[in-house]
Amino acid sequence: MIKYTFKRILYMLFVFSIMTVILFTLYGMIPGDPARAEVEGLRQTLKPDEYEHAYQLARQRMGLDLPKHIRYINYVKGLVKGELGQSIVYKMPVSKVIITPLKTTIFINIFAVVIGLALTIPLGIRTAVRKNSNFDKAVQVLTIIGHSIPVFIFSLLFIYAFSVKLGWFPVSGMKTANFKGTDWEAFLDKVWHLALPLMVMTIGSLAGLTRYIRAAMADALSMDYIKTARAKGLKEKVVIYSHAWRNALLPIVTLLIGWLMSIFYGSLIIERMFNLNGLGKLLIESLYNQDYDVVMAIQLLYIVIALLGNLLSDLSYGIVDPRVRVNK
Amino acid sequence: MSMKQVDENKQNDKKKKSFLSLLFANLFGSKKELSIFEEEQVQSPWRTVINTFKSNKVAMTGFIVFLLIFSIVMIAPLVHPIDLSFSETSQKDIAPGFDMMALPDAILGKVQDIGVGPTFSIGASTDGKVYIWGKTRISSTIDVKNYPIDPATKRPVDMGNVVKVAAGFDHALALNDEGEVFAWGNNRQKQASIPTELKFTKDIKDIYGGYQSSIVLTGDGRSIYFGNTMNNDYDEFHPYQGQLDKIAVASDGLIGLTRDGEVVYLGSQINAYSRIPENMGKVVDISASAVTMAAVNEDGKVFVWGNVTKSKGEGNVPETDSKIIKIIGGRYHYNAITENGDIYSWGSNNYKQSTIPQKVKEADIVKVYSGYYQNYGIASDGKVYTWGLKGYLFGTDDLGRDIFTRLLNGGRMSMTIGAVAVVISTTIGIIVGAVSGYFGGKIDNVLQRISEVISSLPFLPFAMILSSLIGNSMTSTQRIVLIMVILGLLSWTGLQRLVRAQVLSVREQEYVIAAKSLGIKEKNIVFRHILPNVISVILVSATLSFATSMLTEASLSFLGFGVQAPHPTWGNMLYGANNSIVIQNYWWRWVYASIVLGISVICINLVGDGLRDAVDPRSQER
Repeated sequence: MIKYTFKRILYMLFVFSIMTVILFTLYGMIPGDPARAEVEGLRQTLKPDEYEHAYQLARQRMGLDLPKHIRYINYVKGLVKGELGQSIVYKMPVSKVIITPLKTTIFINIFAVVIGLALTIPLGIRTAVRKNSNFDKAVQVLTIIGHSIPVFIFSLLFIYAFSVKLGWFPVSGMKTANFKGTDWEAFLDKVWHLALPLMVMTIGSLAGLTRYIRAAMADALSMDYIKTARAKGLKEKVVIYSHAWRNALLPIVTLLIGWLMSIFYGSLIIERMFNLNGLGKLLIESLYNQDYDVVMAIQLLYIVIALLGNLLSDLSYGIVDPRVRVNK
Repeated sequence: MSMKQVDENKQNDKKKKSFLSLLFANLFGSKKELSIFEEEQVQSPWRTVINTFKSNKVAMTGFIVFLLIFSIVMIAPLVHPIDLSFSETSQKDIAPGFDMMALPDAILGKVQDIGVGPTFSIGASTDGKVYIWGKTRISSTIDVKNYPIDPATKRPVDMGNVVKVAAGFDHALALNDEGEVFAWGNNRQKQASIPTELKFTKDIKDIYGGYQSSIVLTGDGRSIYFGNTMNNDYDEFHPYQGQLDKIAVASDGLIGLTRDGEVVYLGSQINAYSRIPENMGKVVDISASAVTMAAVNEDGKVFVWGNVTKSKGEGNVPETDSKIIKIIGGRYHYNAITENGDIYSWGSNNYKQSTIPQKVKEADIVKVYSGYYQNYGIASDGKVYTWGLKGYLFGTDDLGRDIFTRLLNGGRMSMTIGAVAVVISTTIGIIVGAVSGYFGGKIDNVLQRISEVISSLPFLPFAMILSSLIGNSMTSTQRIVLIMVILGLLSWTGLQRLVRAQVLSVREQEYVIAAKSLGIKEKNIVFRHILPNVISVILVSATLSFATSMLTEASLSFLGFGVQAPHPTWGNMLYGANNSIVIQNYWWRWVYASIVLGISVICINLVGDGLRDAVDPRSQER
C-alpha cells in the first residue's frame, strides 16, 4: 500500500512537471511584454535613452533575454520557493493575491458540499429503494430539470424571487458595507449574504449526484446477494445500508472525491453572479485584465487539486473495495 | 368485479377510436395485447430499442418537443436572417407586446393631431383631450404616460383644450387653444422645461419634438428652442427669426421653411444638412428623417439631402402619378401624399414601415402622421389606419435588437456548437476507447493516464482559460470554432471509458476470435466488428453530452468567454443580465432565453435517459 502510494505520488510529480512545461510554453506564446508594461509609465518622465536603459534593466531583471529552457528552470525554482509571480493589477506577489479569495471560496463551498451530501445521499438511497414509486418519479423529473438548467439561470430566478420581489436577501456581496458589530453578528451577516448563493449552489449540485447515487444503488439492489441477505431474514435497514450501500459506494467514490475537490472551484459562476470575492471571480477578472501570472497560478492550483483528487480516489478504491486492495 | 372494472371493460369494448387517440397511439406507440396462442414477432435488437423508446411517453414527448425547437431554430433563421451589425438606440429595452400603435378607443374617429415617438405616440382628440399609448416607459422612473405635475397642487396639470401634440425622443409636448405649451417626460437636458419667454407668447403656431430637444414655432415666425444644445446644432440668433413658416427636425439638426418658400438651415455649423440643394424653386413642404432632410417644391419634385445612405435608401424617391404636395419623415423613411390623395413611401423598410398596406392604398387618406417606424393614416371618414412597427414579440435588448430574432439565430448557433462539439468528443472518445480497450498494455496505460488527468481537471475554468488565452486575438467567427474544439477536446473522457469497458467485454468473444483467425486487420476488427456492437452506448452518451455541451457553451458565453456579441447564442444573450436592474426592470431580456435553453436541454436529457433505458437490456426483462 505504501509502495503503491509512493509510486502514485511520483507519477503525480511527473504529470505535474509535464503540465508546467505545457503551461509555460502556452503562456509564453501570449503576445505582450511585461518589461515594457512595467516601464511604460516612465516614458513621459524620462529621456528616450534613459527610458530605453530602464527598459533593458527591467528585461534583465525579469530574465526575458535568457533562452527559453533557462527561463523555465528559473520559473520552476521560483515555484519550489513558493514564488508564483507578480500580479500586474494588484502590484503584489500572486501568492498574496490568491490567499483571501481562496479562503472565501473554500468557506462557501464547504457549506455547499456538506449540505449537498446531507441531502443527496439519503435522497438517492430512498429513491433507489422505492424505485418506480411516485416519490421516485417526482424526484426523477425534478432532478432532470435541475440537471438541465444551468446555475446562472437558477441564480437569476432566485435573485428575482427572493432579492428583488420579496427582498429577503441581499442581491450581491459578502457583507454589509461598514458593518459594525460583534464577531457573532458579523458571522450572521455573512451567512445572511451567503444564504442565496448557497441555496442556488446546493440546488444546482443536487440533481447530478442524486441521479448517480440512485443508479448505483439501484444496480446494487438488483444483485443476487441482496436476495440472499433478504432471504436470511436480515432487517431491511441492514440490507440497504450495510449490504447494498457498501457495494453502491464503489462507483460513487470517484464522483464523491471529484465533488469534494470542487470546494476549490465549484462556485465560479455563483461568485460572478453574486459578486463574491472568491477564486472564481479572481480568475475571471484576471482573464479580463490579462493578469496572466495570477491565471497561471490559479491554473496550477487546479492541476494540483485534480492530481490530488486522482490519488485520493485511487486510494479510496482500496479502502472501499477489498478486491482492489493493492499491493503492487 | 367492482364497478370501476366494469366501467373500464366497457370502455375497452368501444372499438371506435377518436382521431386524437389514434394519433397519440401512433406517435407514442401502444402495446398490442397478444392472446396466449399468438407468438410475438421476433424483432431485431434495434427494432426493440426503437419500440421501447416509443413506448416511453416522457422520452417521446421530450423528443418531439426537441425536434420542434430544433427544426424551428434551423429553418427560421433562413426566413428571418439576422443583421449582426444592427443596433438602434431608439428601440432599446422595449417590453414585449404589439401595442405601439394601439390607439385608445376614446380617440378613434376624432383624431385632431398625433405625435409619434420612438415607441409611444401621443394624440389629441377633436374635443381637446390628450391620449398616450404604446410603450411609454422611458426608464424605471420616467413614464411619458404621467402628465406634468403642477408643483402647487401636486396633481396632474389640467391642460385645457389641447389642439396640437408632439413627441420627442423621450418626452412629449402639448399645445392648447390658449397658446399654452406643456412638456413632460425625460427632462435631463431640460427638453421638458418650458422657457420663461414662452409664458409671454400666446401666439404659437406649432410645436416639434426632437432628440432631447423641443422647438416651438410662434405665429410671428420665430423659433424657440429648448433642450440639449450640445448634440443639436441650433443657432438661437439665426437670421431667419420672424420669417419661419415651418420647421423640420432631424436627430441632430433642424431646418426651416420661410414664408417665401425658401429652405434655410437653423444651425451655425457647416454640415450635410446645411448644404441645401440649390435651384429648388419655391418649396411648399419640408420634412426630416433622423439623418436626412427633405423638401418638395411647387412642381412636386422632392429633394433629399443630409447623410443620405444607400442601405437605408432615403434618397430613392419613387415615380409618382401626380404631383407630391406633402412629405412626412419617419426615422429612416419618408411618406409622401400626392394631389390625388395617393400615398407613396420610400426608405428603410426593416420594420415594414415603408410598405403601404393595400387597405391604406384603397382608403381615402387625408392626413398621415409618421415618426420613427410608425405610420398613422387618417381617412376622410375619420378611420385610423396604422402600418409599420407594432412592437416586438419578446421585446428588445439593450441595443434595440429584437430578442425573438436573436433567439432564433442564437438557437441555431447554440445547437450547432453543441453538435459539433459532440461530434469531436465522440470521435476522439471512440478512437481512444477502442484502441485502448482492444490493444491494452502500455498503450492502454498511457491513454488512460492522459484521460484521467483531463477528466479530473475542472472543466469550466479550464475551458475559460483556454478560450481566453488562445482566442485573444481571434475574430468572432474563429472564436466560435475555437469554442467547439475546446468543448470537444475536454469532454471525450467519459465516453472513452465507456467504449473501453465495452470493448474489453466483447474482445474475447467468439466472433472476434473468429475474425482474428481469419486474418482480418486489427484496425478492421476494432472498427468494423467490435464497434457496431457498442454503438448503443455511444448513442446514449452522445445524446447526453450534446446537452452538456450546450450547457457549457451557455455558461461560457454567459461569462463572456464563449461566443461573443454580436453573434447571438442562448448563453450570451444572458450576458448583460446579471445585475438587479436588468433582472427587475427588463425581465424579458433573460426570461425567454432562459426558458428556451432550459426546455431544450431538458428535452435532450429526457431523450438521452429514454434511450439509455431502451438500450439497457435489463429494462426489457418481463
